[in-house]
Amino acid sequence: MTTARRKFIVSLIAAFGLAWAFSSSTALAQAAKPVRIGFSIAKTGIFAAAAPSQLNAYELWREQVNARGGLEIGKQKRTVEFVMYDDQSNPAQAAKIYEKLITDDKVDLLLAPWGTPMHVAVAPVLERLRFPMVGNTAASVKVRDLKPGNIWFTTAAIPDRIGRELAAMLKANGVRSAALLTNVLPFGKEIKGYLEPALKQAGIQIKVNEEYPPDIKDMTAMLAKVKQAAPDAVLALSYPGDSAIYVRQAKELGIGAKFQFVMIGPAMDFFPKALGSAANDIVTVGEWSPARNARAKGFHDAYLSKFKEKPDYLDSSLAYMSCEILEQAVKSAGLDKARLRDAISKGSFETINGAVRFKGVENTVTKTGFLQLQSGEPQLVWPAAEATAKFRPKSSW
Amino acid sequence: MIETLASGQLLFAALAAGATYALVALGLNLVYGTMRLLNVTHGDLVMLGGYAAYWCFTLAGISPLLALPGIALGAAALGSAAYHGLFRRMLGTTAAAARLESNSLLLFFGVSIIIQNVAALAFTATPRGYEYLSEVHRFGNIALTGNRLAALLVAAALLAAILAFLRLHIFGLALRGLIERREGAAVVGVDIDRVQHASFTLGFGSAAVAGALLSMTEQVSPFAGFPYTIAAFVVVIMGGLGSIGGGMIAALLLGLLETYGVALTSSNYRSILLYGVFVLVLLTRPQGLFGRRAIVR
Amino acid sequence: MKPNRDLPALLGILAVLALAALLPLAASEYWIGVGISLAMWIALTQSWAVLSALSGYISLGHVVFYGLGSYVVVATWERLPLAASLPLAACASALFAFVIGLPVLRVRGPYFVILSFGVAELVKYVLIAVEAAQGNASRLILGAPGLETLYALLLGLAALATLLAGAIRMTRLGQGLRAIREDEEAAETLGVPVTRYKLAALVLSAAIPGAVGGVMALRSTYFEPGQVFDPMISFSMIAMVIIGGGDDLRGPVIGAVLLSLISEFLWASAPQLYMIILGALLCAFVLFVPDGLCGRLLRVRTQ
Repeated sequence: MTTARRKFIVSLIAAFGLAWAFSSSTALAQAAKPVRIGFSIAKTGIFAAAAPSQLNAYELWREQVNARGGLEIGKQKRTVEFVMYDDQSNPAQAAKIYEKLITDDKVDLLLAPWGTPMHVAVAPVLERLRFPMVGNTAASVKVRDLKPGNIWFTTAAIPDRIGRELAAMLKANGVRSAALLTNVLPFGKEIKGYLEPALKQAGIQIKVNEEYPPDIKDMTAMLAKVKQAAPDAVLALSYPGDSAIYVRQAKELGIGAKFQFVMIGPAMDFFPKALGSAANDIVTVGEWSPARNARAKGFHDAYLSKFKEKPDYLDSSLAYMSCEILEQAVKSAGLDKARLRDAISKGSFETINGAVRFKGVENTVTKTGFLQLQSGEPQLVWPAAEATAKFRPKSSW
Repeated sequence: MIETLASGQLLFAALAAGATYALVALGLNLVYGTMRLLNVTHGDLVMLGGYAAYWCFTLAGISPLLALPGIALGAAALGSAAYHGLFRRMLGTTAAAARLESNSLLLFFGVSIIIQNVAALAFTATPRGYEYLSEVHRFGNIALTGNRLAALLVAAALLAAILAFLRLHIFGLALRGLIERREGAAVVGVDIDRVQHASFTLGFGSAAVAGALLSMTEQVSPFAGFPYTIAAFVVVIMGGLGSIGGGMIAALLLGLLETYGVALTSSNYRSILLYGVFVLVLLTRPQGLFGRRAIVR
Repeated sequence: MKPNRDLPALLGILAVLALAALLPLAASEYWIGVGISLAMWIALTQSWAVLSALSGYISLGHVVFYGLGSYVVVATWERLPLAASLPLAACASALFAFVIGLPVLRVRGPYFVILSFGVAELVKYVLIAVEAAQGNASRLILGAPGLETLYALLLGLAALATLLAGAIRMTRLGQGLRAIREDEEAAETLGVPVTRYKLAALVLSAAIPGAVGGVMALRSTYFEPGQVFDPMISFSMIAMVIIGGGDDLRGPVIGAVLLSLISEFLWASAPQLYMIILGALLCAFVLFVPDGLCGRLLRVRTQ
C-alpha cells in the first residue's frame, strides 16, 4: 500500500471513529429523553376557579425539578415534561383522558386531576390499566373502598374525620348550639353526614339545618333564619363561590356567632383580600402551614415569588406533596409500575407537611386539622399538638 | 314553616322570579304568536344578554342597568338580521305540515347548539359572576339585596310599558291582531311583514334585557340558556297563545310555584318543578296550543 | 320495492359487523375503545330510527332510555350478574316507554319533540334527587369486565338493533309507521292501528338503548345522573341519522361512522368545536339534504 493510500485509510478510519464517538455521545444525550407525566386539570367549567391552586403547585415542582437537572430515575436525571388536557370539570371526560394518556399518549407517569369527583372517576381506569397514581385534592370516605395499589390519597381531610374533629373542637370551645348550612356538592354532604351525629353526641343543638345548590347567589333568606336563631356557631359547608357570599351576607345581616366555620375558601389567597375584615377569625379546613418545617417555608416562599400570591394552604400543599412523594418513589423504584406501586405503598416520605406514610389508600400520619384566619394569615388552630396559634372567637365583622 | 311561607321574604323572591320569567317569555310569545315558530334558541339570547352585561361591567365598569338600552338595541339588531336573513325566506317556503315543523325545531336546536358552543369556546365554560348592588337592604324583617330589587323594578317597568304599547299604540294593536287572527289582520290592511319583523326585534331585545338583569343575581355560563327556554315555553303555553297579559300571569304563577315549592321542599327540586310543570302542561294540551291552529296539510 | 332494498342492506351491515368482531385481535386497547364508541352509536341510532325516522315522531329525549338502562346496571352491580342486569336494563327502559307512551304519543309534531326533551330532563333531575336522598352523588363500578367483552357486547347490540330495524321496515308495522309519517289522520281512516303502532315503535326503540346504557356504564365505570342523561347524546343520535339518511338501513351506520371519525380528532383537544361542527352539519342537512347521504347517493344512482 502506498503511503498516500495508507494515510487516506487512516484518516478515513479516524473520521469514522470521530463520527461514531460523536454520535454515540449524542446518542447518550438523546437516551436521557424527557420523562412525560400526564394529567388532566379543570381549566374550564365549574371547578376552573379552584384548579389553579393545584396546577400552579405542579408547575412549580416541575420548574424546581428541572432546575436541579431533572427527575432522578435510578442513576439518570431526566427532564420532566407535562402532557396536560382540560377535563372541563367533567369527571367522565377526565376518565376518558386518563385512558388516552395511558393507552394512546403512553405517558411514563401520572399526576392527579383536581377534586374528588375526578379522582373517583379516574380510579377504575387506573385499576383496569394497572397504572399507579398519587392522588391529592380528593377526600371522600368512598375512596377507602378503592383497592390500594393504584391510587393513594395524601389528604387527611376525610369527611368522617372532619366531622369528628370539628365537633370535638366546637365542644372544646364551649359551643352549645349551631346552624348548619350545606352546599349539596359531594364533599359538603359527606361531611354533613358525619357531622350531624357527632354534634348530637357532643350535646350541641342544631338550630338551623339547610341545604343549598352550588350555584346559589343569594343567601339572605337562609341567613335571616340563622340570625333569628342566634346560635353559638355557624357551620357553612361551602365552596369558594358560596363561601364568599356567606361571609359577605352574614356581615350585612350582622350574624353574631362566635365560632364561624367556612369549609373551603379561607385558605386561599384571594379570600382575605377580597373580604377584608369580614374574613377575620373564620375557621376552615386545612392541615398545613408554612411554619411546619423548613421545606414548608421554602415551598411557601417559592410559590409566592413565582405566582405573586400565597399558595392555597389546602390544595396547593396537597398537590405539591403528591409530587414530592412521586419524586421520592421514582428515585428508588424507577419507572417500573410494580416497583413503583410497592415503593409508594410501603415507603415513608418526607414532604412539606412532614412525614407521610400510606396504609391502604390513606395517609395515616398527617392529622386532620383546621385553620383560622388571624389578621389575614391562616394559622393552624387544631389539633392542639400541631397548632401554630390559639383559636380566637369571632368578635366582629 | 308557616312563618317562612307567610314571610314577605319569599313573596318578594317569587315576584322577582315571576317578573323575570315574564320578560323572558314575552319574546317567545311574540315570535311564536306571530309566526308560529318555536324558537328553541330563545334561552340562548338570555344567556348572550347576560354575557353582554357581564363584559360591560367587568371590562368597562358600566353598570348593567345603564348598559340595558345598548344590550336591547344590539339584540334587536340581531333579531332584525335574523328575520330578514333567515326566517322570512324559511316562512315563505315551509308548509305547515307537522313533519316540517319538527324539522324546523331541529334546525333551531342545531343553531342553539352552535351558539352555546361558540360561546363556550369564546368565553370558556367557566361560570361568570360579578358583584353589583349586592348590599343588603332591610325592610322590617325582610332582607333584600339591591340587585334583586333593581331587577324586579326594571322588569316590572318594562313589562308595563310593553303592555301599554300593545294595548294603546296602533302598532301594538296590529301585532295583537296578527297574533289572534292572521288572515283577518291581512284583510284589515296590517303590514304583516313589518309587524312580524317588529315582533322579532322586540322579542330578541326583551330576552337579552332579561338576561342582563339576571346576570346581576345569577352566574352566567354558555349552557345556562336551556332552562330559560323551557320556562318560556311553559309560560307561553300555560298563559295561552296570543294573550300577552295571560303570559304575564302565567309567569307570575311559575315564579310563585318555584319559590314556594322550593321553600317547602328543597333547592334541589327547582329543576324537577320546572320540567315537571313543563311536561304536565304539554301532556294536557296535546295539540300544543290551540285546536284552532290545527295541523293543516 | 323498499323491502327488497332493505334485505341486502341488512345482510351487508351484519357482515361488516361480523368482520369488525375481529378488531381486538389486531388493535391496541385505545382502538378497541374507539370501536366500542362506534358500536354504541350504531346500536343507538338504529334504535332511534325505528321510532323517529319511520314514524316522523322525532324524539329529542332518547337519552332517557340510555340513562335508565345505565342506572339499572349500576344500581344492581354487586347484586346481579351481568347476564341478568343487562336484559333487566332493556326491560326497564321498554317498560318506561310503555308507561309514558300513551300520553306522550298523543302530542304531535314539534310539541312531541320538546316534550321528549322535557321528559328526559325531568327523569334526570328526579334521579339526581333520588340518588341524593340515598347519599349518592355518584356511583363507582369496580371490577367491570374488560374492553374486549364490552366491545363484543356492543357489537352484538349493534347487530341486534340493525336486525330489528331491518325487520320492522320489512313488515306491516314498518309500512304502517311510514303511513303515519305521511299523514296520520289518513292512515287512521285507512285502518292502520295508529296508537298501537306508535306505542310499539316507541317501546321497541327503547329496549336496546337501555341495554347499551348498561354496557356503557361498565365502560366508564363512573355513574353520575347529571352526566349520563346528557342531552348531547340525544342530539348526536339525531344528527347521525339525519346526516346519514333516515330512510335507509345504512343511513344511521354511515352517519355514526362519519361523526365518530370527526369526534376522534376533536374530543380531547376541542370538544366544543366538535359540537359546533355537529350542529352546523345538522342544520345544513336539515335545510338542504333532508334525505341524508344515503338518500342523496340513491338519487344519484337512479338518475
